Amino acid sequence: MTQGLVEVRDLALGYHGETVLKLDELTVAAGEFVSVLGPSGCGKTTLLNALAGFVTPDAGRILVDGQDVTHVAPQHRQMGLVFQNYALFPHLNVEKNLHYGLKARKVPRDERETRVRDALKLVGLEDFRARFPGQLSGGQQQRVAIARALVTRPKVLLLDEPLSNLDAKLRRQMRHELRELQREIGTTTIFVTHDQAEALAMSDRVVLLAGGGLEQHGTPQELYRTPRTTFTADFIGAANIVKATIGTDGRADVLKRSVAVPEGQGLEAGTSEVALRPEAVTVTAAETPGTVAAEVMSVAFGGDRYEYRVRVDAETTLLASASGREDAYAPGATVGLAFEDASVIWLGGSS
Amino acid sequence: MSIALATRAPRLRRGQVAAIVPTLFMIGAFVVPLIGLAMLSLRPTNDLNTPQPGWTFEQYQQVWDTGYLRSSVLDSLWLSIRVTLTCAVVAYPVAWFLVRTSSRWARTAVFAIVLSPLLTSEVVRSFGWRVVMGGQGPVNAALQALQITDDSIPLLRSGWTVFLAIVHVLLPFAIITLTASLGAIDDALLRASANLGASRTRTFFTVVLPLSVPGLTAGLMVVFSLAMGIYVTPLLVGGATMSLAGLQIQNMAMVVFDQPGAAALSFVLLTVTLVACALIALFGSLTSRRRTRG
Repeated sequence: MTQGLVEVRDLALGYHGETVLKLDELTVAAGEFVSVLGPSGCGKTTLLNALAGFVTPDAGRILVDGQDVTHVAPQHRQMGLVFQNYALFPHLNVEKNLHYGLKARKVPRDERETRVRDALKLVGLEDFRARFPGQLSGGQQQRVAIARALVTRPKVLLLDEPLSNLDAKLRRQMRHELRELQREIGTTTIFVTHDQAEALAMSDRVVLLAGGGLEQHGTPQELYRTPRTTFTADFIGAANIVKATIGTDGRADVLKRSVAVPEGQGLEAGTSEVALRPEAVTVTAAETPGTVAAEVMSVAFGGDRYEYRVRVDAETTLLASASGREDAYAPGATVGLAFEDASVIWLGGSS
Repeated sequence: MSIALATRAPRLRRGQVAAIVPTLFMIGAFVVPLIGLAMLSLRPTNDLNTPQPGWTFEQYQQVWDTGYLRSSVLDSLWLSIRVTLTCAVVAYPVAWFLVRTSSRWARTAVFAIVLSPLLTSEVVRSFGWRVVMGGQGPVNAALQALQITDDSIPLLRSGWTVFLAIVHVLLPFAIITLTASLGAIDDALLRASANLGASRTRTFFTVVLPLSVPGLTAGLMVVFSLAMGIYVTPLLVGGATMSLAGLQIQNMAMVVFDQPGAAALSFVLLTVTLVACALIALFGSLTSRRRTRG
């Protein structure tokens, strides 16, 4: 796949003179699956609308395969958009919904038939070709929407929170199906979501937007393991944000425990913030050597693990976990919290 | 459970009463006079056009045999078809604007203009047409100033003036019914259509038009029925001699005092109107039936 390189340069998007999103640079390689992740109001849907041609940027350029499409009308963009509510044509059956884009592009009848049949096969809906959208379940409608977008062979597939209207179980299943489908067809895919778990599970790369700009981007692993900001650490997976006092001796005080400060991250002496993933903070018996004393506030059983909310002091409460195979500590009990130096995520470094 | 049932039952009954009273009123005000009219149209008459006892179809025979009565029904039909189609075509862009504009001010202004024919008295509105289209009116003055014509043209006697006046008063009904249907079309469908490569024209004919069929047929039926029976506007604008069924019925009932004949012509007009409305409804259900299924 050599088609579908998307480049965004110095983009400014807004409505009525008010800037919603500023993006200096974003490149999506051909065939890549990139998630645009962010809380509501971060401008991710606006970005998608700009890519599809429904929002004209205040400034900047959008290029597809090196061609400037910033001012190209939506119908000439060759971007397949899957809407959050699917936007299937209610008066057309599944087959005719798929034919729609091909007819608009004047594809000959024989080729249309073949392509529609292949697209329906791809999403496993061959038996539903004569059904109307109102007669399909949410998951089926979504597959039709994806097939309708793909059958026109777009250069880029744009997905606008396509899983948010499905129930939890189906959502999990569709994550895998969507990813397998994208690998099979190799179309560049930009997936907009507010659900970090979805973004982590599906993407080659995650672009995290916040406050109208780019917060951080990288592989899901990078964002999870080495978030650069408090916002990223907190938004990607759960995180306990804890104060740390960095001394001049290369050690820092984290939760009343001395921890080695890693070198080469540009961390300076003083007060800083660190993140601790709940799964990295283990609840053990009180007064175990090397642990931090805490009081259990509540406990939730999650199958393989317990999730605890614990209080270290008046200002500090944390989420921590323990293996689900043992008995839980009751609320009010005093426990010890253990974590490894390497699991501490240092925020606010200069690199 | 039992409490819920106990509180629910009387409320249902109250609701039924509230529905029954207006229903009875509608029956009383519509069906009863209609039956009276039907019976009247089947009465024989003497030389003074006074209804006599007995039953006959001679009134219908007379409507059929009298050339100007038969053509008045056909002329009404032809005028109504033209008015209805014109209203449908003109209503689309206006209704579309009302639904899509983001400016509250513009929407309110256009809506007020659209409703204005319904807010003015029929007599005042028709008199206005007389002033505008009269021999010394602005339209004739403009035509003469532009040297399109030397003398003033009798515009009021032209069928086109009456046609325009009727379109003017019936257009609001078409716009209001279409606005409801167009407003129900999800904006995402229009974007989906564009995203799939369709031009605006294509989107209108393949998405907007089929999805607005319910509002369109409702509007067509209302406009058509009202146009078939229209009476005051053509009387005041075009004059009592116009060949329209409504005017002829008025003439027969109030001038000639041929009540059974007027009743028969009324029933012919009613039947033609109902058949045409049934055809419009059939067209509507044929084009949108598949969507509502399931």
